[in-house]
This record gives sequence, C-alpha cells and structure tokens, in this order.
Amino acid sequence: MPMLYEIEGKQLFKENGIPVPKFKAYTGKESIQAFVEELGSDVFMAKAQALSGGRGKAGLIKKVTSSEAEEYIQSILGRDHRGKPVELVMLEQPVEITNEFYLSVLLDNESGQYLVLASPRGGVDIEEVAEKYPDEIFRQHFSVYVDALPYMFIDLGKKLGFETHTLTSFTNIMTNMFKMAQNKDLTLIEINPLILTKDNQIIAADSKVVIDANAYYRHPDIANLKSQIDRLTDLEYEAEQAGISYVQLDGDIGIISGGAGLSMATCDLLQFFGSSPANFLDVGGGADETKIEKSLEMLSTHDVKGIFVNFFAGITRCDDVANGIINASKKFEIKVPMVIRLVGTNDEEGIQILEKNGINAYNKMEPAAKRIVELVKGGN
Amino acid sequence: MAILLDENTKVIVQGITGKQGTFHAKSMIDYGTKVVAGVTPGKGGQEHLGVPVFDSMKEAVEATQATASVIFIPARFAYGAALEAIDAGIKLMTVITEGVPVKDTARIRQRALENDVLMVGPNCPGLITPEASKIGIIPGEICHKGEVGIVSRSGTLTYEIIQNLSINGFGQSTCVGLGGDPIKGIGFNECLRWFEDDPQTKSIVLVGEIGGTGEQEAADLVKADISKPVFGFIAGQTAPPGKQMGHAGAIVHGKSGTAKEKMRILSEAGITTVRTPGEIAGKMKEIM
Repeated sequence: MPMLYEIEGKQLFKENGIPVPKFKAYTGKESIQAFVEELGSDVFMAKAQALSGGRGKAGLIKKVTSSEAEEYIQSILGRDHRGKPVELVMLEQPVEITNEFYLSVLLDNESGQYLVLASPRGGVDIEEVAEKYPDEIFRQHFSVYVDALPYMFIDLGKKLGFETHTLTSFTNIMTNMFKMAQNKDLTLIEINPLILTKDNQIIAADSKVVIDANAYYRHPDIANLKSQIDRLTDLEYEAEQAGISYVQLDGDIGIISGGAGLSMATCDLLQFFGSSPANFLDVGGGADETKIEKSLEMLSTHDVKGIFVNFFAGITRCDDVANGIINASKKFEIKVPMVIRLVGTNDEEGIQILEKNGINAYNKMEPAAKRIVELVKGGN
Repeated sequence: MAILLDENTKVIVQGITGKQGTFHAKSMIDYGTKVVAGVTPGKGGQEHLGVPVFDSMKEAVEATQATASVIFIPARFAYGAALEAIDAGIKLMTVITEGVPVKDTARIRQRALENDVLMVGPNCPGLITPEASKIGIIPGEICHKGEVGIVSRSGTLTYEIIQNLSINGFGQSTCVGLGGDPIKGIGFNECLRWFEDDPQTKSIVLVGEIGGTGEQEAADLVKADISKPVFGFIAGQTAPPGKQMGHAGAIVHGKSGTAKEKMRILSEAGITTVRTPGEIAGKMKEIM
C-alpha cells in the first residue's frame, strides 16, 4: 500500500485540524534564511524525506543551527537510502517535549472495521511496546459507517492521562484524524510520537500515512503527490502504465504470467526445481496481445537468463498470448532460452499459432518449469 | 448436495449488458446456471442473451424470486451495486470486480453481515458446483463433479489445482474463490464448516497465500472441528518479506504471514501440506 512522505502527511494534518510544528520543504534551492526569520529561531530539525524507515539510524535526521543547515542538507541530498536517493528535506521547528504518545487509526483487515490504537509509551518502536507492555496499548474498534464525534474518544484520552483542556484538544484531534482516514481513503494514519509540549499543546511530531491506491480516482491531489510517483522504480512505473504488475526479485528467470496466485506459485516452482525468479510480470486477467508483447520487450532489455511464460487462461485467451509472443519475436530478438506453457481458453488455437512459427508449448506447468530451469543451467 | 449453490439457484447478473457481464453471463448460461435476470439501469425491458433485463435489483428480485447475484460492475460503482443487491433481499452476492476501494468493501461487508447476506469477493473468480451451476468466471470445462471441496484465495492458481485434480480422477463438490483483497466477504472458516457438513464432500483443499491471518485461523478450526482430511498449499514461498506480489492481501507482515510459517501452522493442525500444486493429487491418492 502506498505511503506518503512525512511532509505530505503533515500538510494533510495541517489542512485537517491536526496541529503540527511549522515546517518547510527544501530541495536544495530555497532560502534557509527566510525560514529562520519566519520561525524566529536559529535551531531546527532537518529531516530527509524517504519512504523507507530507519532514517534516524542512517543519519538522515539532525538538529541543526541555521549556519550548519546548508552544509548538512547538501550532504544528505542525493544520498542513497535503501535504494532511493534523497531528493527532499523537511525543515521543522523543534518542539519541547513533556510527554510522548503513540496514536494510530487504521482500517483493520481482520475485523473489517476501523481500529484506533493508542499508547502513553510513544516515541519508540510500538511493536516493542506491544511485546513488553501489552496493557499499555489501548484498542478501540469503530464501525466503518461511524460518524466520528469527540465524545467517542473521551475514555481513550483519559486512559492516556489527558485532562481538562488537553482532553478536549485530544478528542478534537482524534476526531479530525478519524474523519481524515474516512474521507481520504487512508488505510493507516500513524502519529509516533504525538507530543504534549511544555505549554500543554498537543502536536503531531511525525506522520505515517498510507492511502488505498484503489481509491486514487477520488483523491487526485494525493495520487499526484511526489511520494506516489517516487514509490515506483522506473520499470515498475513503465509496467504500471501498461497495466502490468511488475515485481523485481533477485534470481535468474523472468516470468510472464496471469494472476498473482499463479505468478507466485510459478516463482515457488522455479525455486523448487533449483533455480530462482528474476522478476515476474503479472499481466492480470484478460490480457491482450500488446500486454504480452510489452512484457517480453521489458524482459528482453533486462538481465534475465531465461524466460518462462506461464498461462492458465480463464478470461485471457491463449491465442492472444501466442500472437503477442510472435509479434514480439518479429520485432526484437529474444536472446535467452524461453519456455511457454499455455492452457485454458482457446489453447488449441494458441498452440497452433506458436507451432506454425516453430515454437513448442507445454500444457502442464511442472514439466515446463523443469525445462526452463534445465535450459538456464546449460542443459539441452 | 455441494455447498452454496446448486442447479436450482436463481442468479441475477448485475452489469449483464457490459462487455465482461455479457461474456461471463453467456458462459454461465451455457454451463447450466439458472440466470433468471440481468440488471442494467436504463436498459430495463430489453432482453439480453435470452434473459430479461431490469432497471433495478428490486424489480428483478420481485419478478424472479432470485436469491443470488453476481456483480460485473466497474470498481467505482461496485459499492452501489452491492448495496442495491443487499437491499433487494439477495442472500448470496458474489463480487467479481477488481480494484474496489477497501473502505467500500469494508462497508459492503458490514451491511452484508447485518442483513445475513453471504458475500463472496471482491476481486474473486466466484464459485462453481461442477455439472450443476457456476457463478463467476471459473472455466467450467476443467471441473468434474466429485467429492473434493476447494476453497482458495487465488484465481488462476485455483484453476491450476482444479484441473490437476480433475485429470487425476478427483472431481469437486464445490470450488470457492474467496478473492485476494485484504478485506473480503466469506473466508476459509465459513467454507470449511460448510464442507464439513456437506455429505458430498469427502476431503477439502485449502489454497492460501502469503499475508493476512486467514490461514492461521483456518488451522485452528481444522484442529478443533474438522474431521474430513484437509490438504493445503500456500503460494508465495519465495516472496521476499514486504514485497507486494500483486494481490493487496499478499503482503508479508512479519513472520506470521510468510508462506513457510503458514505451512508450518497448517501442518501442525493436521493438514497435509504440499510444496507444489501438482502434488495435491498424489497425496490424495495416498490418503483417500
């Protein structure tokens, strides 16, 4: 599920009534001085924006003075963090912490309901808290149809230790957070830590927001955020544009298949026979010739040692698959061994098309998988 | 007997005049499914594939007394179509549509539960009782009538397993494709209980995937309450943790969701697990 950058999440928080520290985006060109003047403070946090965790440990978050800022930011821009270069840094006003809490709203797969999780032990790994202090994580389920109102969160606020006017702030924040999850089709909003400041303000010091990609059409503003473009590699993006699901793995054989379950089982089978998948391209149900051709094109420009085309066609038609393969082989040379397995709708037509062009196809998955493994390993 | 549907089940196809709806409604009718009506708003009064078309589910149910519906409606309209089916009194609703926003699914699921409607899907191939009736898109020609109940989270992988069983002489009582989304209607456990109670079913095949906890819950149920032999396969044994392998549901969350861990849990519950789909028939020959 697609995650947002912290800064994008905080922008959404700000627009939806969840207090956040003052912040500014920095890509290497903006003036730091203007931000210093706006804050009236010479010290702030510089946080690299990344979609993978572990930023703190990687040295990508640092408290800096305005004179150090420029140099530090330039040193982290472009640095690799788990396979992706840092391109965006968030400058943020530091907050004085009295207490740290954990807070999240998620659409819970098991119950099919919204689930609010909260703990007075914030600012640390919440899974560790769950293990060591299970009694200090509070859970509350809500119907997916609920119209969230502040009173629903009073008990929870009291359990966390909020009272008088901080209790009111908390229930308001909680309500806004809940409505935001519902209205924006977010499957997770996590704030860790939520901070109580010295002057009794409650502020979200971090944001982790996950959106449901199936609901992109309702939220073009979120769908077009930088994070949503950055989350895909170039190849994944190219595949997604063509309606193909591309998964990069690190073995030898490229797979073209239809359906996630069969694609995964195909990967497993290659491993079972002693090789491993380099990637798979799942063209989904009802794939046409062009998707097959496109998939082969993507694999041919790729460093794979063999190609395994495996289809059990239900909605897809085997003659379309066969034509796609023939079209591809006329346009470019497939330099590595290829094994094709075709069965299901119109399989006789599909196999005929292939045979006319001198290509054999298997109708069973296991012998076909065994064969491609042999070929890749240099057998004949 | 079989479960969920038989040759008498009356089915309405929602979205019957669309491209997918037309193709699969025809295949369902050819297979023998009692398709009694179709619904496409604005096309009421027409006839399509020899079946009357209605503007609304309410009209279609009143005219035909159908108890089942199947939804071939684009993702952004699936929510409305599903609620319409529930409000019209449908008791078995199958949502084939892929890409339904998960909040919509959760809401449909809740309404279905409140109204005692059995919901299958979304993002699923549907179900088939061989040589009697099918709802959805499972290719009928690979299925044979028999004594194996199949319940699966996958689509094409299920076809693979059905065909392999058929070739090896193991026909099926009913095959149910639950769908690959993280939130869905009925799950493994409902189907396991129905198969347990169904006199035609003599053994059960469970096809799982990485991610989620449905398989673990199924293992608990099998251990406690299922007396019939159960065979299990989990796809995604080579999936690296955290990689999304196509289905939204197939995301590994820590150790508990990995294929290896699930296989272990299934084995411990007395389920015969196999390493490849092709091994199921062989194991069945040994045991049955």
